[in-house]
Amino acid sequence: MAAAVTCRLSAAFCRQFQRVVTVSSYTQPQYAAQTIYKFQSCQQRAPVYSRALHTSCVRNGLDEFFDLPENWGEPTVKSGAPWTAKQLRTKSNEDLHKLWYVLLKEKNMLLTIEQEAKRQCLQMPSPERIKKVERSMKRLDTVVQERADSLRLLQTGQEKARPGAWRKNVFGKTIWYKFREHPIPWHLNTRYKRKRFYEPLHVAPYTRLSLEKHLKSKVRKERREKRQQEELAEIFPKKTAVA
Amino acid sequence: YPLYQLGNPQMRLFRPPFTMTLVRPGKEQPPDTVQFRIPMEITKFDVRNYLETIYSVPVAAVRTRIQYCTNKKRNHLNQRVKRPDYKVAYVQLAQQQTFQFPDIFPETENKYEEGSAEEMQEKFMEDERQRQKPDPRRGGVTEWFGL
Repeated sequence: MAAAVTCRLSAAFCRQFQRVVTVSSYTQPQYAAQTIYKFQSCQQRAPVYSRALHTSCVRNGLDEFFDLPENWGEPTVKSGAPWTAKQLRTKSNEDLHKLWYVLLKEKNMLLTIEQEAKRQCLQMPSPERIKKVERSMKRLDTVVQERADSLRLLQTGQEKARPGAWRKNVFGKTIWYKFREHPIPWHLNTRYKRKRFYEPLHVAPYTRLSLEKHLKSKVRKERREKRQQEELAEIFPKKTAVA
Repeated sequence: YPLYQLGNPQMRLFRPPFTMTLVRPGKEQPPDTVQFRIPMEITKFDVRNYLETIYSVPVAAVRTRIQYCTNKKRNHLNQRVKRPDYKVAYVQLAQQQTFQFPDIFPETENKYEEGSAEEMQEKFMEDERQRQKPDPRRGGVTEWFGL
């Protein structure tokens, strides 16, 4: 578990702990994982009596747009490694949902600091944190999309979330046309009817030329590869093993 | 975004990708006003819901405007370079709360360890600066005037 200490998990959660519970000792990630749910319940609009669990909650929500007061004026701020997709796949959907908001708040905070640093013509402490958070968020999104895709495939058998079709556009190219949602049927939609999904007669020669170009380059590539293999075979002839 | 027609359930956005940046106001603002830079796609209602649900900040009013940034600057190839536009939101807090933008970069005195390289460098730089200063006995008169 020592390796997990350097995770983004401990950095983000520990900081939020320092806000909630004024304890200077270092909190273990296991402790963090268990008590994060208690912390999250404080974040939601819970009635006042449930706040008795925590010694000092975040006074003003706007304080979360800034770093901890100890880090103001420091030249560098320590931060852990970003989340990897492999680590995120082990988490449940609720955990990922909460983590998204943790990362979002962290990103807001870093952008605030960056803008203020630009305003004061000073260097922002540890600007690589923004990239780490962005990458973590991207990977989280990938993992969630993977789960949604697999669920949709299992339930309905559709590969794509958004319906579409292969259509020929005005330029003669066959493209994947993505459908849009309309409140009226297509035959009443004048703007849709002006879009032409067929190739006009005068565009056919150009389609033929581009097809010819594609075929020629394919044949040339095959011939080149064959020639290279033959040259190699000449230099290194195949010999059977002699006993 | 999916099409909304009368009778549809409330459209909800899980895991919003939008970030809001708190900025120091350029002009003097009332004490309960907070200034944000937000993406162009967001509306006043979105800002209110965002702050209330994610940050639990009570919001009384939100006003937005779009700041147009210049397309006049040119780069070393004489091409016009556009500075991206952004939307600014002025959020007024409810329950008579006030907000003062804090000083995030306070001046800290750098204490170097004894005998470290940084301390020697700092001393050297200070000596150089002392040497460059004009003679204080001349009373601010420049070297150009002889004698």
